Amino acid sequence: MPGIIDVSQLVKTYGDGTKAVKGITFSVNEGEFFGFLGPNGAGKSTTIKILTTLLQKTSGSASVAGLNVDSDAAKIRKIIGVQNQDTVVDEDLTGRENLVLQGQLQQMHGPAIKERVDDLLKIVDLTDAADKRAGFYSGGMKKRLDLATTLVHNPKILFLDEPTTGLDPQSRAAIWAYLKQLNEQGITIFITTQYLEEVDRLCRRLAIVDLGEIVAQGTPGDLKQEIGADSISLGFENSSMNGGDTKIKARQVLEQKFDGVSNVVDSDVGLTVYAKNGSYMVPELVRAFDEAHIRLSTIGVSSPTLDDVFLKHTGKRIRVEEVSSANSRGMFGRRRR
Amino acid sequence: MKKLVRNPILVFFSLFQPIIFLLLFTQLFSNLGRFIGSGTLSYTTFATAGIVLQNAFSSAFQSGTAVVDDIKSGFLAKMLATPVNRSAILFGRLLSDVFRVVAQTIIILVLAFALGVYPATGFIGYLLVIFTVAFFGLAWSGISLALGLKTKSAETVFGIAGALTFPLLFMSTALVSQGFMPSWMQTVSSYNPISYAVNAIRVLIITGYDWSTILQAYGVIAGIGVVTLGATLYLFRKVVS
Repeated sequence: MPGIIDVSQLVKTYGDGTKAVKGITFSVNEGEFFGFLGPNGAGKSTTIKILTTLLQKTSGSASVAGLNVDSDAAKIRKIIGVQNQDTVVDEDLTGRENLVLQGQLQQMHGPAIKERVDDLLKIVDLTDAADKRAGFYSGGMKKRLDLATTLVHNPKILFLDEPTTGLDPQSRAAIWAYLKQLNEQGITIFITTQYLEEVDRLCRRLAIVDLGEIVAQGTPGDLKQEIGADSISLGFENSSMNGGDTKIKARQVLEQKFDGVSNVVDSDVGLTVYAKNGSYMVPELVRAFDEAHIRLSTIGVSSPTLDDVFLKHTGKRIRVEEVSSANSRGMFGRRRR
Repeated sequence: MKKLVRNPILVFFSLFQPIIFLLLFTQLFSNLGRFIGSGTLSYTTFATAGIVLQNAFSSAFQSGTAVVDDIKSGFLAKMLATPVNRSAILFGRLLSDVFRVVAQTIIILVLAFALGVYPATGFIGYLLVIFTVAFFGLAWSGISLALGLKTKSAETVFGIAGALTFPLLFMSTALVSQGFMPSWMQTVSSYNPISYAVNAIRVLIITGYDWSTILQAYGVIAGIGVVTLGATLYLFRKVVS
């Protein structure tokens, strides 16, 4: 069965020769909450731009709701809502005027707009501030208004690029709650984000991209199970001082003495070891490292999380940039004419 | 595309310079004025055309920085993801720029009127002045839009605008008559598009419907417009795709 988003062998090479996307294939089902994750520069935003008709692909195929992104771009724009990484609201206009303007951009007319705008203001809890200029809104309010503008025309699919980055935890939670609500009403959501806990809770399926390729996809549960092991994070004393020596030595110990270890990955403080029944292995690990004169500073065991999935497939921990440039721009309200 | 103008402060501040020119500069040179340009008329009457155009000139350069702002803030991308017609986005931009220039021109003309500048062609002539300024503003906006789309840097647009403003204005008939200039500058001035536009506005204020001057100006402005707006359209398509 074809999905509501179908991407096959999608390639994007920029004018300067940069290969941002190198032949990715995935599909999203109607009504799904789909997470699209990856480290910075992995090709997430490029993919979103192609799917939302803002960028032309180099080769491969991509369709949204059965419509071709090249030939049916105009039709696609009518049924999608797009929230870019930057918060885009017109600060000279009130919240309500922003929504009305967006409705007009979406070619809606007359009383239909007014009604829809009132509803949306209610949905994102901005009814009280509706007639204040958006320039006076807080970062969280602007983001909520921005989200509302993407919903004016009742889109079937929402594309969200980092919708909660740079927000305080409370605003973040609010946005995720709205998204959950929207998804329950049947809107397909395609989202890139750095907040894996929320992805784990809300996304039915996800794909992880790295360096322009999809390195893993599936349900959060499946992906975690695939790791099939607990993760033991080890921190070494002086690990940074003797370069990578301690880590190399530790790796040798693990290799020689522990059969149950399925994978070892470098982390910021030392190593992350994946093994079945990790908690039982801890005493043996401590003993073995002691004999090898490797001093541990920390040790921790946890059952697999999406963080581990991410680390395993990309070799990186996902980093949340608390205050991104997008946000600081929002704070020093830019004027638009 | 509907774009609301809700920024009276900006309109006011960009008017600051032309108003200073209108009020102070013309007074400063009121005695000298007869000598450098206006002859028997008051210098204010002579310089109004130049000041109106100077305002259009600097106002047009704000379009370029505004479009850079739209690109950088993601506003352009957001509009592009809607079913709005591509060219409507560009025309909306131009239209709002023209609207701004017209509003500013009206304010300057009213002020000039208060200072005793009575147009030879009356109210209808002023409408034609406003049309001429709008036409010039449209063509001139093309330069800054093209620069903005090409460089995507507001600083660059400002820098180039600043570098162009004084040489082009002073080597034109905006503030002095051609006869007053040294001969090499007279040559520059007669090739300077600003002179043509100024002359057209000036005859409407001072002499009357001198159609050859007016149509000549329209020809020059149209020529500039085709080149600058053509470049803008081309660059806009490139940015959009």
